[in-house]
Amino acid sequence: HQPGTEKWSVVTTCRTTPLLGTLLSEKLTQMMEWASKRSVIRMNGDKFRRFVKAPPRNYSVVIMFTALQPQRQCGVCRQADEEFQVLANSWRYSSAFTNKVFFASVDFDEGSDVFQMLSMNSAPTFLHFPSKGKPRRSDTYELQVRGFAAEQLARWVADRTDVQIRVIRPPNYAGPLLLGFLLAVIGGLAYLRRHNLEFLFNKNVWAFSALCFVLIMTSGQMWNHIRGPPYAHKNPSTGQVSYIHGSSQAQFVAETHIVLLFNAAITMGMVLLCEAATSDMDIGKRKIMCVAGIGLVMLFFSWLLSIFRAKYHGYPYSFLMG
Amino acid sequence: MAEHHAVSDGKHKASTNAGGSVHGNSRPGAAGGGGGKGGLSGGLTQPAGWQSLLSFSILFLACLAGFSSRLFAVIRFESIIHEFDPWFNYRSTHHLTTNGFYEFLNWFDERAWYPLGRIVGGTVYPGLMVTAGLIHYMLNLLHITVHIRDVCVFLAPVFSGLTAISTFLLTRELWNQGAGLLAACFIAIVPGYISRSVAGSFDNEGIAIFALQFTYYLWVKSVKTGSVFWTIGCCLSYFYMVSAWGGYVFIINLIPLHVFVLMLMQRYSRRVYIAYSTFYIVGLVLSMQIPFVGFQPIRTSEHMAAAGVFALLQAYAFLQYLKDRLTRQEFQTLFFLGVSLAAGVVFLTVIYLTYTGLYAKIHIPIIASVSEHQPTTWVSFFFDLHILVCTFPAGLWFCIKNINDERVFVALYAISAVYFAGVMVRLMLTLTPVVCMLSAVAFSSVFEHYMGDDTKREKPPAEDSSDEDDKRNSGNLYDKAGKVRKHVSEQEKAEEGLGPNIKSIVTMLMLMLLMMFAVHCTWVTSNAYSSPSVVLASYNHDGTRNILDDFREAYYWLRQNTDEHARVMSWWDYGYQIAGMANRTTLVDNNTWNNSHIALVGKAMSSNESAAYKIMRSLDVDYVLIIFGGVIGYSGDDINKFLWMVRIAEGEHPKDIRESDYFTPQGEFRVDKAGSPTLLNCLMYKMSYYRFGEMQLDFRTPPGFDRTRNAEIGNKDIKFQHLEEAFTSEHWLVRIYKVKNLDNREPLDHKLRSVVPKQKYTSKKTAKRKRGHIKNKLALRKGKKLQKK
Repeated sequence: HQPGTEKWSVVTTCRTTPLLGTLLSEKLTQMMEWASKRSVIRMNGDKFRRFVKAPPRNYSVVIMFTALQPQRQCGVCRQADEEFQVLANSWRYSSAFTNKVFFASVDFDEGSDVFQMLSMNSAPTFLHFPSKGKPRRSDTYELQVRGFAAEQLARWVADRTDVQIRVIRPPNYAGPLLLGFLLAVIGGLAYLRRHNLEFLFNKNVWAFSALCFVLIMTSGQMWNHIRGPPYAHKNPSTGQVSYIHGSSQAQFVAETHIVLLFNAAITMGMVLLCEAATSDMDIGKRKIMCVAGIGLVMLFFSWLLSIFRAKYHGYPYSFLMG
Repeated sequence: MAEHHAVSDGKHKASTNAGGSVHGNSRPGAAGGGGGKGGLSGGLTQPAGWQSLLSFSILFLACLAGFSSRLFAVIRFESIIHEFDPWFNYRSTHHLTTNGFYEFLNWFDERAWYPLGRIVGGTVYPGLMVTAGLIHYMLNLLHITVHIRDVCVFLAPVFSGLTAISTFLLTRELWNQGAGLLAACFIAIVPGYISRSVAGSFDNEGIAIFALQFTYYLWVKSVKTGSVFWTIGCCLSYFYMVSAWGGYVFIINLIPLHVFVLMLMQRYSRRVYIAYSTFYIVGLVLSMQIPFVGFQPIRTSEHMAAAGVFALLQAYAFLQYLKDRLTRQEFQTLFFLGVSLAAGVVFLTVIYLTYTGLYAKIHIPIIASVSEHQPTTWVSFFFDLHILVCTFPAGLWFCIKNINDERVFVALYAISAVYFAGVMVRLMLTLTPVVCMLSAVAFSSVFEHYMGDDTKREKPPAEDSSDEDDKRNSGNLYDKAGKVRKHVSEQEKAEEGLGPNIKSIVTMLMLMLLMMFAVHCTWVTSNAYSSPSVVLASYNHDGTRNILDDFREAYYWLRQNTDEHARVMSWWDYGYQIAGMANRTTLVDNNTWNNSHIALVGKAMSSNESAAYKIMRSLDVDYVLIIFGGVIGYSGDDINKFLWMVRIAEGEHPKDIRESDYFTPQGEFRVDKAGSPTLLNCLMYKMSYYRFGEMQLDFRTPPGFDRTRNAEIGNKDIKFQHLEEAFTSEHWLVRIYKVKNLDNREPLDHKLRSVVPKQKYTSKKTAKRKRGHIKNKLALRKGKKLQKK
């Protein structure tokens, strides 16, 4: 008797589905058509209910719930959206592209009813709707833990759907283009002034650029480039802005700029000291140069030392400033 | 200035009386030298004698200061090998001295990377071991019987003395003798170099910096003279560098860069041609003699720049030759431009490829897990170089302003080294020498102008500006006793001079800066770079010291109590130490050549016990060794490294291990009750905290309170099925577990099928309670809608 009941119930579902959605094959072709137009399918409440919520479905859908409208002022959403697009494009244009997985997005301003239905109150959120069964706990992407890098998302998708996506980022042409442009400008200038290439032999220019490079490196700009720290830290409760990171393991961008300036000042002080002793200017100017030089060296070195001391806890020495 | 240095160094060597007294004696001598210089203008007959005596004694004192400031660890603890890699170097040196050189070259070490083994002879830079072995051999030949361990411990300090000398020679070639002495003093005590060369740190870098500086000195010398003699010397030194450290790639790229830039600057000369052609060919052939390097110099992209510049130099020389015959000026310049442009493009591409290769390497987890491969913050620069990092750009400025062939070299050296130091903190080591040299140039220029006599200085300006006249300058440089002559110069005060007051103030302040530098160096060396890390020390409130010797205790336990061929599994950090101190077979070690093997160990550590047991059985593991710091609050333990194990395991086995499983839903890594269940049941957690829940360290804290992570552990009831605790050291720092053998017979997972029916058959008819029933009666059931799938 058990089989009988099952049959009956299947019939019931078959009868009810045409009301809710379309046939499986129709849905699939529709989805494929959308996916061919844009790799991330934009959905509103109606589409979401028909193509994602309602059975039958034999494809997985990865949906980003987001709020991209400018009035929402969601900066994170935009960054996450870029990464999601990268992922979807990598999948859409890869040779392994099938109709097993689709990427879609639901904007809060187009489908707020979906947000209500899923009782969601934060964006962006990534959800995976598996081809079989209901979404489980692990079908919600842990954004706080894993971040929204496309590679991390790809791992999560591979984990949930067994579809391996190799993330291919569109090469960033801005850097090489800028470099090419710069080279072209330099080449052009050199060509225009080809009868007067004296500036190439100007030692001051070369010395100055070498010094710039050295100062940039010794002030930890490479660390900033790789780690991407914030410019400064604003304490949310007091509103106080701190420019110096409290630990010796990390730094803010502002701090490295300060250090760069200090180093430059000390270097300038040393150079001034030597200039004061060797130049042919009148004695008054030279004395001023000399005093300024030693002042720069002393002042900025002791200042630098005090910053270092604030960061490196337990360092016992200081000079002029505590 | 240098005497001042020596004196301040003498201060920190208060524990060694000899050093202090030597300095004390030297001081009047040095001051006398200054007096002699003052008398020189008055007509002293033999200035050269004073000068060389002074230079020699300053250099000697710099070497001595460099040597003795590296002995903190030996004096505080004992003469032992530090850290991790040095243990391997020590072990292979020991192998070399006991079995001979050829046996060492052919050494296949079956005690590492079980069951794979490792070909040691062909995968190490043998220079370090051969140097130590040679010194040991020589000493024994002279019947000075020292243990090879002592040779290894004191090798790096001895070589740092040699580095001071070669830095002196190089800086003298670049600027003048005074700057050279100053540079020697700087490099002797600068923390950026001490960090890799304290006594006991028996590592490649210790001897490689000497080889680096000496090669550069000989290169500069050969460019200056254009003689094949110096170039061959340079090649031999380069050969030594290749045999000692992988950083030789820096040399083989910097020297071609120098030649290339010289050509661009139209400073090409026959000297450069001779020097580079000889260097490239002889150096190439010599470097290929090292088994580990082999054919790399003609294959890999790092060496292509050298080959490209060699070809370019030949082409350029040929063009120069043609130019003398034909006189088609326009065509020549055009051709030159084309060639240099093409070469430049090739050069840049190669640099770019190398850079991207490096960049890719940075992003592999096992490389990212090593703290030495991180980029450098400004704090590290300041910490390692102090005043030098602020002043060396000034030295660079002076060098570029007064450019010549060899100063081109030092400028390129500075720029490239500062770039690499910015990318990777361990490459601070290659930056340090050039920073010392350029800072010495800056300070030397200042002292040169501010320490001397006003009137004497202003009269011959041409003489002062010329760099060749180093003797006079260096004499002035160490002329510190300004007080006597201040009196004299006040009388004949010149109008154009800066005046003695300003001069003496500037001098005093500069000396103060240098004094602070010396004090800083001593403090950093003593506090940051002199810990052997094999032996830990902690200080009580009253200043007495506790020595925690758990590591050696545990390794000796392994050595004494386990089978000779027992295989010990541990995280790769401890592989060399287990091999060196316990003399047991390890699975993975600090030579991280096989990522998948390491991932397997990581997987075993991060799986649950039964899954781990399968892996350990398949790897024939007998013992598992872990480091646990929860009792004493040691932060470098395995639980703190644990996430790297998980990450590396996940890289190879993404199906079985997931990093997110080890975090709480909030994304935290916690060991207390709120921690993720996967973490609380993985092998590493269980081994670390086995029976720790019974232990109450303090009355204020509950039992099982982890001092490192300041948390009460979440899983106090830990039972092992396949492991048993074998050894735990005094402070629980090292815990060793024995992997049990398989049981005689595996118990069945399911219950045995019961043959006997549970109920005896009873006739329904006799049961009174049994109701009657109708056969084939339809049972009515409510229709249920099927669950949606």
